[in-house]
Amino acid sequence: MVKPIVSVENFHLAIGEKEIVKDLSFTINPGEVFAFLGANGSGKTSTIRSLLGIYQPTSGSLLIDGKRYSPLQARDVGYLPEERGLYTRAKVLDIMVYFGELKGLAHEEAKEFSLAYLERVGLADKSNVKVKKLSGGQQQKVQLGVAIIGGPKLLILDEPTKGLDPMNRKLLLDIVDELQAKGTAVIYVTHLMEEVERLADRLLILKDGTARAYGTVADVKKKYKSKSIEDIFVSIYDTKSSEVVHG
Amino acid sequence: MAKLSTVIKHEYLTIVKQPSFWIIMIAIPAIIAAVAGLSYLGNKSSQDRIGDLAKDLKNVAIVDQSGLINKEVVGASGLTLSSTDQQNDLREAVRTGAKEALVVYPDTLAKDRTYEIYLSSDDFTKMGSVTSLADSLLKTSIFLPLGSAEIIALAQDGASSDVVTYRDGKETAGLNEYVVPGLFVVLFYIIFAFSVGYMLTSVSEEKENRSMEMVLTYIEPRKLIVGKLLAVIAVTITQVLFFALMAVVAYFGLQAAGNAIALPAGIDLNKLVFDPLAIFFGVSFLVVGFLLFAGLMTATAAIAPSTKEANSFSAVFYIGAFMPFYFVMMILTDPENPITKFITFFPLTSPVVALLRNAVGNMGTLESVLALLAMTFFMVVAIWVAIRAFSRGALEYSSVLKLSALFKR
Repeated sequence: MVKPIVSVENFHLAIGEKEIVKDLSFTINPGEVFAFLGANGSGKTSTIRSLLGIYQPTSGSLLIDGKRYSPLQARDVGYLPEERGLYTRAKVLDIMVYFGELKGLAHEEAKEFSLAYLERVGLADKSNVKVKKLSGGQQQKVQLGVAIIGGPKLLILDEPTKGLDPMNRKLLLDIVDELQAKGTAVIYVTHLMEEVERLADRLLILKDGTARAYGTVADVKKKYKSKSIEDIFVSIYDTKSSEVVHG
Repeated sequence: MAKLSTVIKHEYLTIVKQPSFWIIMIAIPAIIAAVAGLSYLGNKSSQDRIGDLAKDLKNVAIVDQSGLINKEVVGASGLTLSSTDQQNDLREAVRTGAKEALVVYPDTLAKDRTYEIYLSSDDFTKMGSVTSLADSLLKTSIFLPLGSAEIIALAQDGASSDVVTYRDGKETAGLNEYVVPGLFVVLFYIIFAFSVGYMLTSVSEEKENRSMEMVLTYIEPRKLIVGKLLAVIAVTITQVLFFALMAVVAYFGLQAAGNAIALPAGIDLNKLVFDPLAIFFGVSFLVVGFLLFAGLMTATAAIAPSTKEANSFSAVFYIGAFMPFYFVMMILTDPENPITKFITFFPLTSPVVALLRNAVGNMGTLESVLALLAMTFFMVVAIWVAIRAFSRGALEYSSVLKLSALFKR
């Protein structure tokens, strides 16, 4: 049996009086794309922040590669948050190298990776340009580069294609494919169900902090007797059902 | 350790690579020097011009009712004393332009210390030159009986004093004792003005540009804050070294140009006193005071949702740092005053007050140690709050972090 790269068990999170996530359990295996779905405010970002140690769980365990995440594992993890941005006054290459070094790469290694990545995404000529001079789409490509620098075992992408034009969206999805082929597990948060259909191996739909659908894409479709993830998502959010599934 | 040095390097280079960093460092002393120089040269030039014009004034009538004006002094200026009877005619002559000016020294001059000047025009320069002439005639006439030019100069300009002070029966260096510890006060304000704000911008900028969440994934908040603090310390050292270099260049430049620097109050660079205890406390108050304010700025930036709001909140710290100057005489001369004691230990004022009191030596060793301990305690609390607020408030993009959140698990 494959050892999961992410293992979440009976995770609860309350902030103040509000219960954000309730008894959530799931696993993610190496090399799979895991679609982590839910409406705004359903608890996705809070779960990710808890997985990365930014929030402290109220109870339960959240493990990456068998351990509670700490920045000592930074090299194994890449994160592109929903609220994202870069140091606008810094140059593109400098910022990528800085994040590479923060993740534990040597300076030269980070530089080499960054230059290759910028070449790959068509930004080689922007390496010495300040981030604020880049367009929104170009900045997003740099942010993705920062997340994948060093070849992480786990890549967390929170709405990565938001605001991207079709060309850059395709480029990003191709990069995700390439990383998956190399064995990287991807937590993919999106509201675009066609991306889920295109990329995901398994999925979890979160509603009000609890898992309402969980499993392989095929299994979930079979269970809901539907050909479309979007229909399943809508039906979960349309019904007053409180059925909770456990991983 | 590698991550810490990465943060230090990144933060340091981010600041010193900004052209504005060097522009401000060079521009501020340059502007101060330029304004001082231009003001000195301008004043000197206008005084010289007024003096020259005063010498050329020949069509001016002088009427003396006070009996204080010396006829020969007036004559030496190429003018003559007119009689009191002519005063009305002379005023009419000035009004019609036949005379340039009339100066009347009334019989109440000694009592009222006021004399009258009538001018044929409202030309500002002429006003200055006639006033200068009238003043010169009065002073020279009064001082003339004193005798020699040196004695007249002494009476007019006064004299400086060489003060010799004793402590426990031994001669001390007087004001020269205060110079070295006093430099730490100057240094504190330089650091405060230039560096402390970097902590505020460095933290609030990361929040504002939304890079914080990515950064916090790869480094612990405590390490990030410590890295930023150390980077700002490195920036501060760079600034201090730069200013020191500029001061040395200016000193030797002026010497080479033949202008010896006239230090005030008889301060002699060769007689400066380097008291190890005063220097120790000076350095300690400076470093701990800097870290205290840096911690407060960091906490403010972490609590506030944006740079704009962080700047508004931080105003209180600037007031705290400058407030001791409203009490400066009391701080320097009345160390036993309860207000002096209070502001020596009050966190926002303690760095400046302790540095000032250390400079003039009116704080005993025990009180200095206690002040340092109190300041260190507040510094540790400020940095703890900063780290805590940073951990809790770093991802608060829309509202101010609640105080209660600092103490939650």
